[in-house]
Amino acid sequence: MSSAARPRTTPHRSRRVLGAAVATVVLSAGCGLSGATPEEGSADDPIVIGMSLPLSGPAADRAKPGMAGYQYWVDEVNANGGLLGRQVELKVLDDGFDQQTAISDYNRLISQDKVDLLLGTFSSDLNLAVAPVAERFKYLYIQPSGGADEIFARDFKYLFFAQPATTQRLPNQFVELIERLPAATRPKTVALVQQDDPNTTQAAEIFEKRLGELGVTTVYDQTYAPDTSNFDTIANAVKQADPDVVISGAVTSDGVGIVRSLQKVGFSPEMFYQENAPTSPTYAQAIGAANTEGIFTPIAYSTETDLAGNKDFVAGYTKKNGAPPDEDAANSYTAGQVLAATVKAVGKLDQAAMAKWLHENTVATIVGPLSWDAAGRPQGELLLAQYQSGTLKVVAPDAAANADVLHPKPGWRP
Amino acid sequence: MATVTLLLQTLILGLLAGGVYALMSSGFTLVFGVMKVINLAHGAMIVLAAFLTWWVWDRTGLDPLLVGIFLSPVMGAIGWLLYKTVIARVQRADWELTLVASFGVAVAAGGVMALVWGAEGHAATPSYFTTSFELGPLVVPQAQLYACVGAVAMLAALHALLRGTFLGRAIRASAANRDSAALVGITVERTMAAMFAIGAATTGFAGAALSVLYQFVPDSHYRWIGLILCVVILGGLGSFLGAGLGAGILGVSEALTSSYVDARWATAVPYVLIIVVLLVRPQGLLGGRVRADGVPA
Repeated sequence: MSSAARPRTTPHRSRRVLGAAVATVVLSAGCGLSGATPEEGSADDPIVIGMSLPLSGPAADRAKPGMAGYQYWVDEVNANGGLLGRQVELKVLDDGFDQQTAISDYNRLISQDKVDLLLGTFSSDLNLAVAPVAERFKYLYIQPSGGADEIFARDFKYLFFAQPATTQRLPNQFVELIERLPAATRPKTVALVQQDDPNTTQAAEIFEKRLGELGVTTVYDQTYAPDTSNFDTIANAVKQADPDVVISGAVTSDGVGIVRSLQKVGFSPEMFYQENAPTSPTYAQAIGAANTEGIFTPIAYSTETDLAGNKDFVAGYTKKNGAPPDEDAANSYTAGQVLAATVKAVGKLDQAAMAKWLHENTVATIVGPLSWDAAGRPQGELLLAQYQSGTLKVVAPDAAANADVLHPKPGWRP
Repeated sequence: MATVTLLLQTLILGLLAGGVYALMSSGFTLVFGVMKVINLAHGAMIVLAAFLTWWVWDRTGLDPLLVGIFLSPVMGAIGWLLYKTVIARVQRADWELTLVASFGVAVAAGGVMALVWGAEGHAATPSYFTTSFELGPLVVPQAQLYACVGAVAMLAALHALLRGTFLGRAIRASAANRDSAALVGITVERTMAAMFAIGAATTGFAGAALSVLYQFVPDSHYRWIGLILCVVILGGLGSFLGAGLGAGILGVSEALTSSYVDARWATAVPYVLIIVVLLVRPQGLLGGRVRADGVPA
């Protein structure tokens, strides 16, 4: 028997199949969208904060801790009497890491559910799509993640980023580290491998330019699609190019795929720098705990700093969730801190007044004091961390460093 | 020399990936070939098997690929249950609805797996998961090789089962003509259930291979079912050898695209191949031509 062995479809049948398909789609789209529309806020009603997160799909491993960070922040705010004397509750939708769903979710939260405030979603990809929605409705939009400069290049007035710096400054610490190496041990060649994402591709361009100025030649530059799962051929091409440094612009689990494939083809560079993936809680197990040694990653947050409120946050979060906060949890907590600060300072839920206040003031957060330029770019510096003996140590800038740099990276261990 | 090495290495990696694709597609194409059921839950079953493998490996440290062999009957039983509770009932009402029903099962299974194991990526990492055999400048990743060898063994066993046993003959008879098969004393319903269970059993080892080769999340099944559909359309729906051929071609074309064109295009290769095949040879490479009423032309 073979392929086309099926009876001709009658119109009646196709209608039924189509009907069932449509019903399925409508039903699944309807899931999780129930819930009453809040009335315009009276003093006793809770303040509703709307958001749509990629709780399912490929970025779920980042959104889940992000959600836990938001939830921890809300519980803390409510335990301390809420905002403006009102309790706070979150209304969370799941966009499955899909731009169109995220856009319609935020549209719905604003125009249909009439939420009082918004908080941002995760990844540059989603924030790029969602920020214009908030701007159009003149809603304050504080995003915990997504540092691609493309997002801020549109000069939005209601957009703020709750990390110390955008992608523009992400490469700084690593480039400066290479610059400080003595000429004899300074790498000569670099391979750039990145996911097709506004954040990672922008970082790659900056790396190529700035390392080029230091005399480090780019010998391989490859951008791959977000749904790539087989990295063996890319790793093989990297091996053939034989670079001293590999810079991996990963977004989520693709970072694990790259490392595993580099191990398989037996290539370990002198320096390996990877964005995002190394801070995932499953990273060490997925690539083999011993193989994390020496891997660099830029971080917006460390549990070990003495910045105001950080120790309390780490202790409280650990007690509640059974594990210390990762970067994503800390970033959403920071976004909450920024939102709470402006609501308290302005004294009412006036979106324009809150945005104006943030443009003019500095907010103390667990990632340090944050202030923003006219387009919402924060004016701080990211940290450079390196895996040493199984934990991420901050190695730059000097002011925040708690370990020396390990160079060169040891080879992969079977 | 470097260019030759790159080419040979690309071909090796592509063929090894193809072996795994073939394993993943075999059960799917078999079920379609015999039962005309497009089981969109096949990818979800592979991911479920990957989670079960990871879970057993994480608890006991048993070799994941070995776990996969023992998982095959478990997945077979799950498949049998799926057939009895969902597929057979829907099929009686309207066989085309099995497409929608199995998709529903896949979506639900993805949600349940996320509840049980969480949405973060998992991967089994036995001692050999990143080691390779070296042939001069070329490398043959061990895990891929074992998975590929396992896939070929599995396909050979399936082939032997279909050709050499009574069950196999009953399956083929039921596939050729249900009514005639019933006339000669074959319990078609039971045979179909057995067929579906066998198709599902292949996901045991396929899932184990997935857990060792790639990191996976509950939603990974969308990607894998897309790839499986490409393999079987390329090779010819229902054709067993076609699935092997389609998988090999897909693996190699993906690898060549990634090495020589642009990695961004590699994930588009399956879909480009589907369009080309449907335009040029709609029945697939090894699929037979059939008239609309099901009689070989």
